[in-house]
Amino acid sequence: MSSVIGGVVVLDGTVVPDREEIGNKAHSLATMHRLGMPVPPAFVLTTAVGKRCAGGLPDDVWADVLAALAHLETATGRRFGEELLVSVRSGAAQSMPGMMDTILNLGITDHVEAALAAASGDAAFARDTHRRFRESYARLVGQDAPADPHEQLRAAICTVFASWGSPRAVAYRNHQRMSHDGGTAVTVQAMVYGNLDDRSGTGVLFTRDPQSGDTAPMGEFLPRGQGEDVVSGEVDPLDLADLAHRLPEVHAALLDAGRALERHARDVQDIEFTVERGRLYLLQTRVAKRSARAALKLAVGFVDEGVLTPAEALARIRPDHVTTVLRPVLDPEARATARVLARGEPACPGIGSGRAVADPDEAAFAGDDEDVVLVRHATSPEDVHGMIAAKAVCTEVGGRTSHAAVVSRELGCPAVVGCGEGMLAAVEGRTVTVDGTAGEILDGIVPVRTPEPSEIPALARLVAWAKEHPDAVAANHPLSELPSDASKPASL
Amino acid sequence: MSVDEFTALHGLVLKKAGQAGEVAEVLGATEAEVAPALDAAVAEKRAMAGRGKYMVTPAGRAWLDEQYPVLFADLRADPGADAAYARFEEVNRELLALMTRWQTVTVGGGVDVSAVPNDHSDAEYDAAVLDELAKLDSDAGPVLHVLAGLVPRLGVHRRRLSEALARASAGETDYVSGVRVASYHTVWFELHEDLLRLLGRTREP
Repeated sequence: MSSVIGGVVVLDGTVVPDREEIGNKAHSLATMHRLGMPVPPAFVLTTAVGKRCAGGLPDDVWADVLAALAHLETATGRRFGEELLVSVRSGAAQSMPGMMDTILNLGITDHVEAALAAASGDAAFARDTHRRFRESYARLVGQDAPADPHEQLRAAICTVFASWGSPRAVAYRNHQRMSHDGGTAVTVQAMVYGNLDDRSGTGVLFTRDPQSGDTAPMGEFLPRGQGEDVVSGEVDPLDLADLAHRLPEVHAALLDAGRALERHARDVQDIEFTVERGRLYLLQTRVAKRSARAALKLAVGFVDEGVLTPAEALARIRPDHVTTVLRPVLDPEARATARVLARGEPACPGIGSGRAVADPDEAAFAGDDEDVVLVRHATSPEDVHGMIAAKAVCTEVGGRTSHAAVVSRELGCPAVVGCGEGMLAAVEGRTVTVDGTAGEILDGIVPVRTPEPSEIPALARLVAWAKEHPDAVAANHPLSELPSDASKPASL
Repeated sequence: MSVDEFTALHGLVLKKAGQAGEVAEVLGATEAEVAPALDAAVAEKRAMAGRGKYMVTPAGRAWLDEQYPVLFADLRADPGADAAYARFEEVNRELLALMTRWQTVTVGGGVDVSAVPNDHSDAEYDAAVLDELAKLDSDAGPVLHVLAGLVPRLGVHRRRLSEALARASAGETDYVSGVRVASYHTVWFELHEDLLRLLGRTREP
């Protein structure tokens, strides 16, 4: 049977249409299918079809949707309107604000809620799922969810197509000088549940450690978790070793899938997965975000493994990766003997020293001639000019998400926040050093040192490659500008 | 319509220092309406002026602090204002968390969460945060409407927020959390300070 039904593509791995046709996310799903990965069954209404649906879904397109839905029912062994629930999401070749949010659990009715309660043994979960669906449907589609699941689906698909023309999406494309012709696709995918029994759960896998750049995969798993539970961080999840112990086959299949996806993308993957009654499903994979240090180490590691050429590795290093790892740090010996005046939450990394001043006006005026550190109970808009002049900012109250933290990050000004009542009294008038990375205020000027490129083995090798492949790096990139002798220790 | 000296000085203190036009913008007035009141404040030594910029003096600040409890006695006694402010604080916490997500991304999921600066290379991530900002803006609508019902001048912040949102959504990314423009965060920060002063409250940790 063909996997293309009119303007609807069933994602079964037989075809991988262009991103322009099915959007970025569906393209990723299609690629996972092609690689033989366990992905919840899905189909896509293409961007071409979307252009015919401005005034509602034509009957011939709806007939194609029903045929594709039958595929989903066969693949899952569940009937839509009974046990099969789906998600409906937009997908353009390029993401933009203003597109419709994903609707989850579409197809739920009173009848389905009862079935879900029985299947999960959790009536509260089923009720909550139904309630959240009704609320999000009403908000996103602009009408109460119809009782008939098919009507729910048809209206939701229309709303996604219509969101391409939403004022915010149009304004964005105008400003970005993007064509209005691209259109969005609509992906309809079977929902899977991580909360059905003790052999169910949800989690994320990083195929390598995106913080340190170590090659060992890392991840977490939340038994009986569903959807956003892991992301929200409200429950302590298990690590991969626990998963291996609990569900060894799932663990092995997950790591195999991770390796295959990483090999295909030639980069570290961040994979969301759900286990439903002992069966693994991959929901999404994308290139993992990483720290600067990890970016260097991972790029070099991929060259050593023959995955990337040195020139390709160089292309992955952004200037700020290099400047970040070469940022001055406190001299370790001086730090060891320095007295800690206060500790708080690190809000913006970096080191700043100067006279601790409590008055933002004084900081603003003195900041031209001497180094000052602005110390405040909390900050108000009036303090911003003092923050601009200061080498660092400290507050007694407020966390990583306070106004002070937001402003200091915007200014790139090292900041330690929430040091507690009494910090002002302890530091005002003294000369202090603020370590915005560690979250400490130290007495006196603590000397800093700038790391040598040769101390960071991955950087030293990249600098050496940059000399060998000058075409692969921009002339003003720090990798080109760092002295070549920095690479000597690593070439030994 | 002219702006009285109290209002002009209050607007100036929200901006800390600024030209008459900047003070007018935060008050929803015109420069011509604000400048005479600021000049009057200078004559009273409640403000200083130089190079076209005004700044509140310590005396002006003390005078303002005496005015608030008198001028806003009814507002401070109004349980409706209390309730509205409590709701504002809720949205404020969400907004600051959202700003943090805009500025930084976590690396490594929930495991030993660490944040690195958002380099804005991930259009999907940024679009999602901008969509959240639009939702937060609409969630904030009712409480801002209530506050503007109590103090009509506060309605200006709603218009300023809408403008910042429109520019941010269109891809002028500085208008999310930028410090040197009337970004969503800048306007919100000023609105927050405006409320704290009228209601005689201090910033919650």
